[in-house]
Order: sequence, then C-alpha cells, then structure tokens
Amino acid sequence: MKPLQRILHVEDDISIQEVTKLALEVVGGLEITSCDDGQAAIARAHEWQPDLVLLDVMMPGIDGPTTLAKLREQPSTQSIPVVFMTAKVQPSEIEHYLSIGALDVLIKPFDPMTLAEQLRKIWEHSHD
Amino acid sequence: MTDVDVQARLAALREQYGRRLRDDLQTMMAQTRELSEHQTAVKADSLETLRQGLHRMAGSAGTFGYAALSQDAREMEVWLQTLIEGSSQPTLQMLTALHDRLSNSYRNLERMQIAGMTEPDDSHPLASGERAIRVAVLADGDTGELIRSLSGFGYECRDLDAREIGADWRPDIAIVDTAKVEYDVWKPAVGAIPEAALIVLSAAGDFETRLDAVRNGAQGFFMHPVDVPSLEHRLRYLINLPQQDPYRVLIVDDDIELAEHFRLTLKQAGIESRVISDPRDVLIGLRDIVPDLVLIDINMPGCSGPELARIIRFDDDWLKIPLIYLSAESNVHRQAQALAQAGDDFLVKPIGDMALVSAVTARAQRSRQLSMALARDGLTGLIKHPAIKELIELEVARSQRTQAGACVVMIDIDRFKSINDTYGHGTGDYVIRLLANLLRQRLRRVDHVGRYGGEEFVAVLPSCQLENARETIERIRISFSQLECVAADEVFHATFSAGVASTREWPNAEALLEAADKAMYEAKQAGRNQTRIATP
Repeated sequence: MKPLQRILHVEDDISIQEVTKLALEVVGGLEITSCDDGQAAIARAHEWQPDLVLLDVMMPGIDGPTTLAKLREQPSTQSIPVVFMTAKVQPSEIEHYLSIGALDVLIKPFDPMTLAEQLRKIWEHSHD
Repeated sequence: MTDVDVQARLAALREQYGRRLRDDLQTMMAQTRELSEHQTAVKADSLETLRQGLHRMAGSAGTFGYAALSQDAREMEVWLQTLIEGSSQPTLQMLTALHDRLSNSYRNLERMQIAGMTEPDDSHPLASGERAIRVAVLADGDTGELIRSLSGFGYECRDLDAREIGADWRPDIAIVDTAKVEYDVWKPAVGAIPEAALIVLSAAGDFETRLDAVRNGAQGFFMHPVDVPSLEHRLRYLINLPQQDPYRVLIVDDDIELAEHFRLTLKQAGIESRVISDPRDVLIGLRDIVPDLVLIDINMPGCSGPELARIIRFDDDWLKIPLIYLSAESNVHRQAQALAQAGDDFLVKPIGDMALVSAVTARAQRSRQLSMALARDGLTGLIKHPAIKELIELEVARSQRTQAGACVVMIDIDRFKSINDTYGHGTGDYVIRLLANLLRQRLRRVDHVGRYGGEEFVAVLPSCQLENARETIERIRISFSQLECVAADEVFHATFSAGVASTREWPNAEALLEAADKAMYEAKQAGRNQTRIATP
C-alpha cells in the first residue's frame, strides 16, 4: 500500500485552512495544497493529482457534494478518494455523504494534533 | 519543528482567530440590526448570509478552543435554517432575540479574552495558550541590570524606544524611567498601550513627584537605585490583579422579589449571587458559594439582621467576609446600634442599581484583596498551604458538579537541602521564587498555584485531563531545568520532580493530594527531574 502523502484541502474559511495546514504539514508531515472553493478544487485536483481530497461540505458557490460529483465526472479525478469535513453531526447526513461516495466524514471541530493521524487511519482502513 | 513550536504557532493562530471572531460577531450583530429595521422586507439572501456566517463559526470556533460559542452558533444556525426553509418572514421579536443572543455570545467571548483564557476546554491543546508576561522598559536605552534581572525571573523584557511601542509586541506592563525619558516622550507612548500597567521609576521621592505619578496612572513607584526584588514583587501583584473569578455575593432577604431583583442587577454587572430567603439556610449558603460579601436584610421575621450577623461571626471561617446590612433604616443612631453588634456597613433601601453594583464591587474587591494578602506566602506570593487545600476542595466539588475532571500536581525541588548548604539560604529562596514565577506564568489563569511547604508546591488545574496536565508540567519541568541560577560567581541548574493526580480517580481532596504526593515520591525514587502520573 502506498503511504498517504498529498492532500488537497478545500475550505472557504481561511482560519481553518491555516490550522489544517499546520496540522497536516507540520504535525503530520504530509504535503498539502489548499483551495478556497469547489471550482478551484476541481481544476487543482486534475493538475496536482492528490492522494486524497479533504472537502468542506458547505461552501459558497458549489458545495461539497456537488464538487464530489464533478470530480467523479472527469476521468483524471474520478478515483481520488474524498473525505468530507462538516460541522453537521446528524447521523442521517453522515450516511448521506457516505452514500454519494465519500470515503469518510470528519466532524468539526477537530483536534489539530490528531487530524493527520485520523486521515492516515482512514487511508489505511480503505486499503485493508 | 518541536512540539513546543507547534503549540506556539497554534496559540498564535488561536489569538488571530479570536480577533476575527469578535469582528465576525459584530458584523452579524450589525446585519441583524439592519434586518430588524427593515423587517417588512427581509430577503431570504440576507438570512442566508447570516446563516452561512453562523455555520462557519460553528465549525471553526471549537477547533480554536471556543466550544460553547461553537455550540451557540450551531443552535442559531439551525434556527435560521428552519426559518429559511419555511420561507416565513422573521418577526421583529425573533430578530431581537437573535441579536440578543449574538451580543450575549460577544460579551462572553470578550470576557473570556480579557481573562486571557479560552473556555475551560481540556480536550484541545489550543486551549492552553501560554506566554510569558511582557514587560517594556522605557529608559532611553539605559536600562542597566534591570532587563537582565527581570528576564531571570522569566519575564519577557524589552528595552523599547518610546516611538516603537505598541506596534506588534504589546506589553502587559510598562516601566518608565522618568529620570531618563522626557514626559513629552513617554506620556504619549504609554497612552498607546492603555491595557498595560504603568510603573514609574524616579530620581526623586517627594510627595509631589508621587502625586504626579498617581495622576499619570502609575500603579507602582520606585526610586533610584531600584530595588529589583521589590519591583519584581510589584509586577507580580499587578499581574495577579485581574480577577480570575467573578465576585460572589450571598443575599439574605425574606423579600424574595426584591432579592431576585438585586441578584439580576448584580448578574448584569458580572457578579454572581445566591439568594437565601430563610435566615436559617445562611450557613449552607456560605459553604456553598464561599462569598466575597454578604448582604443581609436588617428586618427579617424570626431572626434580625444583626442576630444573623453574629451567628455568621461565630465561625472563624467567615470572620473576614464583609457583612453589609440592607435596610430602610435611615436613622444614623439606630444604624450605629446595629453595627455595634456585628456587621460592617449599611446600604439604605431603596437603592439604585448603579449604586448597588458600585457599593458591592468596591467592598468585594477590598475583601478579596485582603483575603488574598492573608492567604499568600510572603516569599513567593503564592497561595499558602491552608488556602490551597480549600481551593482543592472547591475544585473537587466543582468537577463533580460539571463532570469536568480537575488535576492536582505536587512539585518538589530536587536536592534542595544541598542547594541551601552549598550556596546559602538566600540562593535557596531565589530558586524557590524562580520556580514560583515560572509556575504562575506557565499555567493558565484559571489554575491555582500554592506553596505547600519549604520547597514543595501544589498546582490545581480545573477542567484539565490527566495527559494535558502531565504535558504542561513536563514543559515547565524542562524549562526550569534549563534556567540558570546565579549564586555569587557560580551558575548552576536546579530541577524538580512532580506527581499528577486526577479527580476522575480520586474523588476527594485528601485522597487526591495523597495520590499526587505518592506519584511525586515515585518520581524522586526513579531518579528525580521527572513527572509521574498517579495510578490507582
């Protein structure tokens, strides 16, 4: 199994972008690129070919689920796993995201010291 | 990058986020006000903008240690969502309620940020922002030994040119040497940092000079040559001044409605109070909230105010608490009679809200200052043994109520006797003060630190999990072991051993202390200079 290395993070909140960068890059030793919105993320995923996309559910413009659908439409990005990040905690919503093809769902707020570890676990689990 | 660096960067991000949070809340409050003014034609768009703002806050605030705020934002978001989905027009009442809730969140946030702490959330490392106390010295470059001495005590000191003050590094305390810097230069510089406490150093010590200092807002005054230990003592006093806890007041009055009105008035001013309508319950009330002040109605059926005051004074524990009568009695002679029995002062009913708040605040503040002075150790300024034990009991009770675990840490300086024997008692005292300062600065403002015995300290960390407590103490232990202790012409290093215990495993104060002590002893046995966790 290839170890998790490149993460594309899609999030409109700049503070969360920064703390996630710190959490993944500095604490977790991963490579991370951040995008502010879904449209930019689709283009960036095509160029950069990340191992995994960490996608905020609610964003202005196109939201997380729509971004996921568009990633699945283009051949170059259709098999990149997507993990959603959301402040919503209704079990039904989580189930919905899983049913539309998310690899997993992470709940905000998150602990910056363990975020990378959580992602690695999800990654390894998906390769079991 | 080390763990400490990561923590520092997280703390910086958190601080930056905290500022943004205030701006965001203010913007939302303004948006809501705007909506209430045009409430006949509220567009779905404007509600949606608000909702998105709240959603973002709900998602991010918790990550930065503001869990309750995140929860609040989440509830407001859900409420707005329902409104938008039902495509109904919000009424003026709804918008006012929303605005009130936003401004409530804003006030809570402000209070937390002033107190220099995040919510007592123990699960996120961001919650324990630690930084040294910042001291700016304005002495036109001629600071002599001052900066070096204060830095030795763990303060972050800078020699500042009056013109560069306040830009990016905002000090907590400004020390101005009026013998070296002109008034016209330092006055505006200090004006730019209103939150910093001012200490004046002066060549002259006459009454007029001191009065001048007071009028310029000085909270400390020292003559050349400056006695550094006294100056440092004053710094410590000033740092401790901000209130950690709201004042607590016990109101004893059989007129329940009036008492409730007093309670709400005090609450709006940030003062906590408890109403007791039956004088018989007063001892329970005192034990429960340990008030800074008691307000007693003078005429109650079954037991008069002065009688009740004397009952309270039977108990040594309550000797130092001011007892204030509330009474319609305006006859000075009869007031004096009541005071002759017991009690400290009179407030005459009817009393305006402002008057009540200022009267209570002034007396509660004095009462707390006095009890702090009495309860503090002369050498270190830390809480003394009996008082820290009381605090531990309070925290144990609180942790049981709130279900948030608290930790107690026992700390003992290693081979202290040999430090005393080798370098003398003066140096021993210096090492004790050094550690006392480090503990005070590195722990959160909600934590308590006491001097337990000669070279033994105890810290109480409310709302803190065992592992977080251990990490914090470990960081302090490492810093302490790296500090240079100076004795005559020799430099040496001191270390300490620590034991940590949590209320989750030991539910009463006595057992908790014993467990922490035992763990500390194990740390000593294992070779000193380390931290051990107490396990059942």
